[in-house]
Amino acid sequence: MTLARFKPFAALLGLAAAATLALALPSAAQAQDKPKIIRISYSGAGTGGRPITGGTIISTAHQQGVLEKEFARDGIKIQWTFNPGAGPATNEQLANGLADFAHHGDLPIIIGRSTGLRTKILFSYTRFGSSYITGPIDSQAKSLEDLKGKRLAVFKGTASQLALGRILKKHGLTERDFKTVSMDGDTLRAAIATKDVDAGFIAPFDLQARGVGKLIYETGPDPDLTSQGVFWVSEDFERKYPDIVQRVVTTLIKVAAWSSDERNREAQYKLWANSGTSYYEYQKTFADTPLKWRLSPLLDDYFVDNLKKSIVQAKEFKLIRRDVDVNGWLAPQYLNAALKELKLEGYWPEFNAAGKPKLAQK
Amino acid sequence: MHKLRQADLRGLVLPLALLALWYALTALQLVNTKLIVPPGAVLATAWKVVTGGELLAGLQASLLRDLAGFTAGAGAGILLGLLLGVSRPAERLVGPTFHTLKQISLFAWLPLLSTWLGTGEAAKILFIALSAFYPVALGTFEGVRSVTRAQVEVARVLGFTRRQRIWRLVLPAAAPQIATGLHLALLYAWLATIGAEYLLGSAAHGIGSVVIRGKAGFHVELIIVGMLLIGAVGMVLNRAAAALEARVLHWRGPGHGSGH
Amino acid sequence: MNTVSTSAAPTAGSSAAYRELGAKHATQPGLQPGIQPGLESATHPGKGARPTLHALAAACGARILALAAGLVLPLLLLGLWQYAVERHWLAEQILPPPALVRDSLVELWQNGDLTANLAISLKRLGWSLLIGGGSGLLLGIAMGISPAVKAYVYPSFQLAAQFPVIGWVPLLIIFAGIGEALKVSAISIAVVVPVAVNTYQGIRNIPRALLEVAAVYRFGMGQTIRRLVLPAAAGGIFSGLRQGVMQGWLALVFVELLASSEGIGYLMVWGRQLLQLDIVVVGMLVIGTVGIVLDRLLAWGEARLQGWQRRAF
Repeated sequence: MTLARFKPFAALLGLAAAATLALALPSAAQAQDKPKIIRISYSGAGTGGRPITGGTIISTAHQQGVLEKEFARDGIKIQWTFNPGAGPATNEQLANGLADFAHHGDLPIIIGRSTGLRTKILFSYTRFGSSYITGPIDSQAKSLEDLKGKRLAVFKGTASQLALGRILKKHGLTERDFKTVSMDGDTLRAAIATKDVDAGFIAPFDLQARGVGKLIYETGPDPDLTSQGVFWVSEDFERKYPDIVQRVVTTLIKVAAWSSDERNREAQYKLWANSGTSYYEYQKTFADTPLKWRLSPLLDDYFVDNLKKSIVQAKEFKLIRRDVDVNGWLAPQYLNAALKELKLEGYWPEFNAAGKPKLAQK
Repeated sequence: MHKLRQADLRGLVLPLALLALWYALTALQLVNTKLIVPPGAVLATAWKVVTGGELLAGLQASLLRDLAGFTAGAGAGILLGLLLGVSRPAERLVGPTFHTLKQISLFAWLPLLSTWLGTGEAAKILFIALSAFYPVALGTFEGVRSVTRAQVEVARVLGFTRRQRIWRLVLPAAAPQIATGLHLALLYAWLATIGAEYLLGSAAHGIGSVVIRGKAGFHVELIIVGMLLIGAVGMVLNRAAAALEARVLHWRGPGHGSGH
Repeated sequence: MNTVSTSAAPTAGSSAAYRELGAKHATQPGLQPGIQPGLESATHPGKGARPTLHALAAACGARILALAAGLVLPLLLLGLWQYAVERHWLAEQILPPPALVRDSLVELWQNGDLTANLAISLKRLGWSLLIGGGSGLLLGIAMGISPAVKAYVYPSFQLAAQFPVIGWVPLLIIFAGIGEALKVSAISIAVVVPVAVNTYQGIRNIPRALLEVAAVYRFGMGQTIRRLVLPAAAGGIFSGLRQGVMQGWLALVFVELLASSEGIGYLMVWGRQLLQLDIVVVGMLVIGTVGIVLDRLLAWGEARLQGWQRRAF
């Protein structure tokens, strides 16, 4: 009679045991050599948060669907996550184990590594881009000094913040000389249009075309001030599926070659314009430099040196609290293998630490 | 009867006057019509957007989220309120923590929650549940505490089991305060739903996200229409909750309640 | 229509409900609502036995026991937190260890960031309370005293009051930008509603008899307001102020998280963007502390008010 009291308890125990077994089995079976899904995070999104982007070879690859085609025969799905929250959001995904690969700006991934997030850099995706400070149409400011004490907007925690820091440092200023507000791209554009901020770290062209913005400051393609981005793989994923990593890299480098071909410039702008940023703006922001320079994926001296400098700057601007060690962070073997396989060695010029091409331009 | 009708009409004077002013300002071009859009344009957009389906789909998504969070939070709230009210030791242990955590303003929870759970549904629903939890827990606690000794004695005399005591005495006795708590929770939950959508980005589905997209794309008509819908839902919820609350109090009969 | 019972369905923003819940939970947690031992003896000094040493010690002991009991759960939660950190239930980047939170709190305090941002937030709250509270009071009094004003304004006000405060923000951003004007106006709106509603209802609930007394004494408008209306409705007004403060604080946190360059909400945004979640937690702690302080201040004020009211009669 007394034991009957435990009947429901026993049932519960049995259920729990069954559940545990059910959960354990798949993980036992998971010692395969292929993932079911590859998760790629993109530190950005199109206008209004739409899941189409532009401006990088990864955006091109996404729109061309090359990775989906490559892995279709293995039955592996590709899951793209576009983050309107940019770099910081990608970091959170990485921390939660929700991202295998990612497109990421230098500052956010430096921040991530400084807090212990483990990734391997596969290749880079941007350099020598110009930085712009844009103000409302009736802005009287002619230089950064004119903006002192005024409201300056930048997306905090992203590569833009570090780029802004570099620019300010060059002029002997810091973020504290302004009232800095954090805003994402969409919000920033709207804020400039309504004159809610006195200036923002964003390209002026679309705003100028609409008659609501004015360029206040521009760096031009300065190798010391430019921002670079990286494409990484999580250490976990790389350890488990190195061959998949290689295939991803090779596929993307092929796209990079297509992207860097001057003959494809217009077609690429058209693809990128699907993100909501206009053809015109891409045209203007990519005008200054050869595509092979802007979109170079190489992990050359310039890249490594710039990365180390960025780490120092991040610490100086108090954007990270702990030091970051570059050792063991880069995994250039995949890039090199891809270049070899695709016979693209020498296609992209290598740059030295000062940002000058090492050899004569091909 | 005549007096009633007169008062009704007078209440309309102010809104009508404001509407007229709005129309006049925009028609006479006295204000920046990009910012202060003419009422006609708002109506046109409203029609287009409502029939277009995006707004209604967003509204539906928001309401579902609201319902899910509210149910979870209210349920948990009733349970905790009951526990705290019935058991003195529980109240000694949990009460102070509960009341202290209550002081953390609602939206302060959102950054942490969304970091842990992402910007998807989980974080939003948990946040909404949190917003509904506190008012309901407080109301239930309040109501349970208001059960008098005499009533408990009657229950004992009638030989109620513990479960019967809770179901047939405590909860009904606490019904008015629980109803009040639920009323507040309904309002807070809708507030939390919209607030979370504003703060967690424009990509998701929801009426708040639609408004934020409108703000980003600078479609003021969209913002106004969205706002009106949000306000309308808030009003409907308030009215419904008030009516239910009145029902509960009526069912309890006059002279009962929290002793007023 | 004027019977003060909770069966009268709350009109705008369920103010009656607020009053009930809000007022009752002004008291110390753990005490029975409605019983306030301190006040009892303060207002009826002859009644009850003089507290003996034994009784005093017993009361002290009870207090200490209550305190200890109350600390059990927080300590357990702290332990759980530390355990979760060590066992990596969540990645360490998004679950900061308690020690780091403590260190960050100290650091932010010492380098002045915390006080600077907190001061800005409190200043905003202060201004909004002044503007919103003041307008709410005026509006409530106007509606309460003059049936004409009430007839014209109350329905629209009721409508606007049921609108979630947050709903106003995008429109306000369009009109007021994202500067101080936005913050103060949004928070003021949040404050106006409960203050006006409660003031109005407080006045409405003044017993007819008192108004007749005022008529007998031939009080002028100013005198009526100062010497009759305000004191009689003080309970309701204060209740409105209480809710106004809490609603205002709620709106403040929201607005600062949404668009700000300074303030305690901004501090949390900053922390999150830089993946320094410990700063986010510090922000939450500070917000909670301010909430507690505000609540206690208002409770103290209300108790004084009630005491005064009782003594007055």
